[in-house]
Amino acid sequence: MTALLHLWGGYVRLTARWPVIATLVPFMPVLALWWFVTAIEVFPRVFLPGPADVARSFAALMYKGILPDYLQDSVVRLAVGAFWGTVLGIPLGLLIGLSQRAHTALWPLLLFFQAIGDIAWLAILVIWFGYGLVTMTFVIVYTVIFPVVLNTVLGVRSIPVNMHRAALSLGASRLRIVWEVVLPGALPNIITGLRNGLGYGWRALIAAEIIVGTSGIGFMMFDARRAGSVVEILLGMIILGILWYIVDNWILAPIERATGQRWGLVTR
Amino acid sequence: MLRLRSLSAAATFGAPFVVLLTLWAVLVPYFEVNPRLFPPLLAVVQAGLESIGDGTLLQHIGASLLRVLVGTAIALVLAIPLGIAMGVSPLVSTFLTPLFRFFSVLAGIAWIPIATLWFGYGFGAITFVIFNAVFFIVTYNTLLGVSTIPRPVRNAAASLGAGPWAMLTEVLLPGALPNIVTGIRTGLGFAWRGLIAAEMIATNVGLGYMLFVARDFYKTEVIVLGMIVIGVLWLLLDRLILAPLERRTIERWGMVQRA
Amino acid sequence: MKDLAIRNLSKTYFDPYAGTNVTAVHDVSFTVKQGEFVSVVGPSGCGKTTILNMIAGFLPVSGGEIRVGGKTVTGPGPDRGVVFQSFALFPWRTVLDNVAFGPKMRGVPKAERERIARDYLALAKLSEAEGRYPTELSGGMQQRVGVVRALANEPDVLLMDEPFASVDAQTRMTLQEELTRIWQEKRSTVLFITHDVAEAVFLADRVIVLSKGRVLKELDVTLPRPRVWDALHEDAAFKALTGQVLGLVRSA
Repeated sequence: MTALLHLWGGYVRLTARWPVIATLVPFMPVLALWWFVTAIEVFPRVFLPGPADVARSFAALMYKGILPDYLQDSVVRLAVGAFWGTVLGIPLGLLIGLSQRAHTALWPLLLFFQAIGDIAWLAILVIWFGYGLVTMTFVIVYTVIFPVVLNTVLGVRSIPVNMHRAALSLGASRLRIVWEVVLPGALPNIITGLRNGLGYGWRALIAAEIIVGTSGIGFMMFDARRAGSVVEILLGMIILGILWYIVDNWILAPIERATGQRWGLVTR
Repeated sequence: MLRLRSLSAAATFGAPFVVLLTLWAVLVPYFEVNPRLFPPLLAVVQAGLESIGDGTLLQHIGASLLRVLVGTAIALVLAIPLGIAMGVSPLVSTFLTPLFRFFSVLAGIAWIPIATLWFGYGFGAITFVIFNAVFFIVTYNTLLGVSTIPRPVRNAAASLGAGPWAMLTEVLLPGALPNIVTGIRTGLGFAWRGLIAAEMIATNVGLGYMLFVARDFYKTEVIVLGMIVIGVLWLLLDRLILAPLERRTIERWGMVQRA
Repeated sequence: MKDLAIRNLSKTYFDPYAGTNVTAVHDVSFTVKQGEFVSVVGPSGCGKTTILNMIAGFLPVSGGEIRVGGKTVTGPGPDRGVVFQSFALFPWRTVLDNVAFGPKMRGVPKAERERIARDYLALAKLSEAEGRYPTELSGGMQQRVGVVRALANEPDVLLMDEPFASVDAQTRMTLQEELTRIWQEKRSTVLFITHDVAEAVFLADRVIVLSKGRVLKELDVTLPRPRVWDALHEDAAFKALTGQVLGLVRSA
């Protein structure tokens, strides 16, 4: 028993120095299980290929340059959509958060259109814009904008009224207050909104690529499905998972933590 | 007094929609918009009445909701006990957290291609996608919820003589409930989207299918009808099921910190 | 002379729970002369915070008028600085930037406004904290920053809304002594709201007792300055005065 605890202690110290290890180690049993299940062919290889097959496919696609291309397509689409979603969403969120009139007029509409969901728009978007970049961008912007707006509104409204008053009594004009008080005060929530938005956004991207795409990782997966080639599907899923995991955990979450905790605004 | 207030609240909520509908009814005919691009309000209403009349709308709604129901039910039955079991031990939960975060990240839509390969087209594949979307997220959230119950609370229960079953029902479940409910809400959100996406390509009945098949025939009134139905359904789901659930648990117990 | 003059001030608002109009302040009049330190004391709900919010310009006036240096008050502004019970420091700015905020709004260039901020921080003996963020400071230190932030903008009147109510008893006494020390150097015009009778008498030149939205009585405080707690705790005059005020407050 104590031996086990010593082992665990060693593991904890190791991961404290290199947190990456804590992320990677849990996957080893999964990988081992996967390899084992495919080795004894519980399911036909056609249905469930093994890790080696997927790795080989990865190498092949990288070599042919297809994977980097598709990856780039997907990432660029997401970036463009996220950019516009944020650029449009933050001002809208500020407006709705600060103006009761804007809130009354727009909030119910926001909730309803968010409920429709990005994917349901694909049908009519294809009629309007065909199968191109515009359709994709629209879907992603649509997806990203709602979490950004909603969280911005939340952030704006959670600023204590005394902070506004303090700024007023120190001579700040209303416009100045938006820049000096409202934006920094709402920033942690805005970043949370961005993070959520990106989470929904890349899913919308994959769905759009699957349904109406002609390139990108989602398309690759769907195309592979049509050809009956499971290996590429699995490869696609793993790549997506790893990519998003890295972006969310090692880039977005620290930013969220940094702004919130540094200023003591968010208690986790 | 209260009646009047909730009536006026409903009116304020509905007012923007009334304005929108009026604009729609007036502007589309005024600008002579091509009905193949965007339908006039009347056409959508007609399409709606038709599809209710011949039963197709209810068929689609029924099919979609059934898949959501089955997928979610199975997912919850498996996810919550699993999450609790894993969350109880800090060792296990720390170790497994990255794993479940990874699979939460993949939840739902990314599984569509492989689901259709494994289960073919139809009920199985779609329900699997929904199950998937809810399962990983709820398990992860349950795990998180249980592991963040303060040690002193669990110790207090133990020192007051709580056995394993009592610990489960009186401490672990209620303590993790806010996170579980948040997980259900997020999971359902992904599941609903996954549902529509999957139905667009993998079946011949359901709301997603209804949208996509109408696109082939440029029947924009059916598309817009479908979009409105989807929006309304989700709002109903949210207001009638999720919000009361959250109110009864999270807000009532004053545990609003959603990590 | 930049006096703060309140004439026939009243405040009525609609209470949605009661369903009727509620009058929080009835016909209140008093003057704070330039350089005077006046405490307003009264039980909870007596309207003192409402009065302060009206003077600060955060609440509109139902009746009467408020004048600073002869000019009528119409909204918030840098001529009336406010110190809040909840500190209201900007958590995303350092202590130095917080104190420099007022001058920044007035367009004072960076080097100059940082110099002003540093001077005031030194006055409050907070110089080492200038690079820290509010969340890193104790409650007492945060409120000192709050006081100094309002002072650095050199307002005509300093309004203080139960500023020490959120700190523990020992810190409170230290802060009160700090405040009188700083005030004696700057001789600002101060209106100080509190429910703590001893605090009101300790700090002020004059105490106004408020109850149910009306002025009960005004009392002059002729205790010598500088005032220190160790000396005053057992002082007969201090005890007599606090006893008098307490009696008035409790009888209302």
